[in-house]
Amino acid sequence: MPHILLEHITKRFDKFIAVDDLNLEIQDRGFITLLGPSGCGKTTTLRMIAGLETPTEGRITIDGAVVFDAEKGINLPPVKRDIGFLFQNYALWPHMTVYQNIAFGLENLKWSKADIRTRVDELLALLKIEPFEKRYPSELSGGQQQRVAIARTLAPSPKVLFMDEPLSNLDAKLRQEMRTELKRLHSDTNSTFVYVTHDQLEAMTLSTQVCLMSNGLLQQYAPPLTVYNQPANQFVAEFVGNPTMNFVPADITEESGQRVTLQFLGRTAVFRSREALAPHGNRAIVGLRPEFLPIRENGKLSGIAYSTLPSGMETTVKVMVQDSMMTSVVFGSVDYAVDQTIQLDVIGENIILFDAESKNSIGIGSLEL
Amino acid sequence: MRKGQLSHRCKAFFSKPSNVLLVVFLVILFCLSVLPLLAMLSNMFTVHLGTEKKLLKQAVGSLTLNHFQRLFPVSDWSIVNFWKPLKNSFIVAGGSGILGILIGGTVAWFIARSNLKYKKFISSVFVFPYMMPAWTLALFWVNVFQNSKVGGGNVGMLESIFGICMPEWFVFGLFPMIIVIALHYSPFAYLLIGGILKNMDATLEESATILKASRMKIIRRITLPIVMPAVLSTFLLIFSSGFSSYTVPVFLGSSVKCFTLSTKMRALINAGYQGQGYIIAFVSIVLGCFILGLNQWFTGKRKSYTTVTGKSGQVSLVNLKKANTPISLFLCVYVLFFAIMPLVSFGLESVIRQPGNYSFSNMTLHFWIGTESSAYETGMIAGILLNPTMWKALGRQILLALIVGMIVGTSGMLIGYACVRRRGTRLSHWVESMAFFPYLMPAMAFGTIYLAVATSESFHFLYGTFGVLILVASIKFLPFASRSGINSMLQISPEIEEAATVVGVPWWKRMVKIMFPIQKSSILSGYLLPVISVMREVALFTLLVPYARYLLTTMLFSFNETGYSQYGSAVTLLIVLIVILINTLTNKLTGASFDKGIGG
Repeated sequence: MPHILLEHITKRFDKFIAVDDLNLEIQDRGFITLLGPSGCGKTTTLRMIAGLETPTEGRITIDGAVVFDAEKGINLPPVKRDIGFLFQNYALWPHMTVYQNIAFGLENLKWSKADIRTRVDELLALLKIEPFEKRYPSELSGGQQQRVAIARTLAPSPKVLFMDEPLSNLDAKLRQEMRTELKRLHSDTNSTFVYVTHDQLEAMTLSTQVCLMSNGLLQQYAPPLTVYNQPANQFVAEFVGNPTMNFVPADITEESGQRVTLQFLGRTAVFRSREALAPHGNRAIVGLRPEFLPIRENGKLSGIAYSTLPSGMETTVKVMVQDSMMTSVVFGSVDYAVDQTIQLDVIGENIILFDAESKNSIGIGSLEL
Repeated sequence: MRKGQLSHRCKAFFSKPSNVLLVVFLVILFCLSVLPLLAMLSNMFTVHLGTEKKLLKQAVGSLTLNHFQRLFPVSDWSIVNFWKPLKNSFIVAGGSGILGILIGGTVAWFIARSNLKYKKFISSVFVFPYMMPAWTLALFWVNVFQNSKVGGGNVGMLESIFGICMPEWFVFGLFPMIIVIALHYSPFAYLLIGGILKNMDATLEESATILKASRMKIIRRITLPIVMPAVLSTFLLIFSSGFSSYTVPVFLGSSVKCFTLSTKMRALINAGYQGQGYIIAFVSIVLGCFILGLNQWFTGKRKSYTTVTGKSGQVSLVNLKKANTPISLFLCVYVLFFAIMPLVSFGLESVIRQPGNYSFSNMTLHFWIGTESSAYETGMIAGILLNPTMWKALGRQILLALIVGMIVGTSGMLIGYACVRRRGTRLSHWVESMAFFPYLMPAMAFGTIYLAVATSESFHFLYGTFGVLILVASIKFLPFASRSGINSMLQISPEIEEAATVVGVPWWKRMVKIMFPIQKSSILSGYLLPVISVMREVALFTLLVPYARYLLTTMLFSFNETGYSQYGSAVTLLIVLIVILINTLTNKLTGASFDKGIGG
């Protein structure tokens, strides 16, 4: 069963380093997302595993077999890697009907006509596109094209399925729908999915493991909730979660074991870490998720409402505390008048302390004002 | 009340500059391209002065179906004068279409999809022959391969230097016509197919790779079918250009009496069979329309290929491995040969006293700068650089080119603007198609139409004038200028102009200060293209000039028809150099270039 291993993978385009010394282990039957802002090297990584791009250095192993090794000069073509690839723009062949598009890969495997028919029918049913069998791609809507592309990729039952931002060309509603379908498909097909996206929500909802990259460097590789609750550094904390985490500068004045005294928003606060603190300097940043800043009448932090953004189920409230803009999320619809005074509280066990210099996480715990 | 309303609506309609432009161009184009066509149609049924009058014994201008009766039913006369030339035209057009695509398509594939060396050099020199007039290659072919055993019996370079005599089918007739036309139009195929290959979404091929298709299978099942519509439409464009080509069959066919429809058209009209000539012109126009219709049918089919012009990803180039160096070198030699050798040969031919003798002692600059009238009595009192006739002809040609360039370039831009602003209206559609209409007519047929008009009683004042040349060239070269005008205007969003309208900038100022500068390069090539086209045009003018030495290009043909090949070569060299000079100057000054505004 496929298990993909990337060791010291580096890719350079002339002087530009797209991927820098990447080590990654993809477990069998996982749903892995490569997440990051555009230009961070995630698509390049995917294409290197698929064999569409040649790494400059490193080694890639799929299912125990070395498919690429820069030192030994091994470089298997994509054909021999037994993979499926779903492209962002679907790459459906415009001159072939839906049926021909799906059947093409099976023809290359020298399947018999009858077997191809059965398999294609199966896929048409699975993806609910039976009525379009005889149509050409240009006669389908975006969502239908997407389904055809998925069917074509799934046809030869690849052990690993690579997807390069497959939902980014769809409208919001359809994207939601396809997300559900993809997750369902993952458990139905029993194969490993490697998925590229820049949409943190997609990564959170779909994957078993998130690989977050920035500027060609791996930032964190962990299950989505770990990435959300225990981000490795400020970049990860900021990239994941919506609305974005609040970052407040703080000075460390006293420290004893896991207990740290901070100068924070003009007052003294005590931070208690769950585990031993990582090495750090005297200047820190406190990371507070919006849900850890509830609005309460007897709240200890006082601020004024800057603007209120209700969205029905929840309301995002921007509050000015001292000179820092804080974001808080309230369940339900509320509306605060501009410049109205608001009291905030600080709760929760997952408040993060970052080092202001290195931006790395120092500790996770609670904050007492 | 009603009257008031109508005038109010008229006022509102004409308050928009684009509407005024459309109406003006509709009237002009109708008068200059539809009416002449009708005049020509009526000429197919009337008796003309001269041979026809004598033969039919009917009054000039009386109606007759005789022209059709003589030309179409199979007889010895109609076979020689219609059916055989028609067949020849089809062979030449079809052959050159296929060969042109093979050459251009292959080079395009190498440049776009392989790791060939010297790509930039090959690409830029390869399109060079397309800039030269088509007949330069024909003339070059004759210069090299003619020999004492065929045609006029002149000795060519190959025989003179190596003693090799090529057989007649190789030197004159359909075979060399196909080769020469194919060579001339292969850069055109290269540019079109290369563009498609470059823009074709690489993921279309990558996804086939992942589905385990072999490289050959990908080319056969994915790449070829996707570029096929472009290939077919390129084929049809070369086909129609080959079909209407006049200059190449003149050089390569006349001396062995091998006629195509366009050379026959002229021969018939010159021999006094105007009626039949006009019918042939009509046949080629109908065929042109048919081909364009076919082209639109191909490109507008169900399997829309809109996805083809998507963004292209990183294309993995095919590694040619050991074949790389030989193929690269071969292509370098190939492109250099056809770009430079013709010029060398014209230079050489123009300085030898006795054709066929390339020894140094036989060389003279007489044909360039000789002063005394010599044994080579041509009616030329001096070499071409000292000859007033030549300078006058050159002056006229350049003046004609500049005037036509101004008219066509400006009209093209204005038509583009007006059609795009009023896109979707019937008026805009009419103007757009009428401006493209002359494209369907072979140059020779178009010249014939205007001949019919100029010889008619009411428009006789046009006959043999400079004005009729301006008219005919302006209309004939309008299609590409209006196409490029429309395309460039489509790229400017109306908001850009509206932003200026809102602050009260007058229309002319919006055009000069906003629209023109944004699309400078493509609009300038709209001006450049007709200038170069006029500089090398023969077929359009040959029937309309008052005498053969009126323009430089028609002068050149008269030299070659009368056998003074040295003068002919000298003039050809001059024309090619002027064309290159214009293109280079414009390119350097403005960034516009002939091969950017390329057309048929």
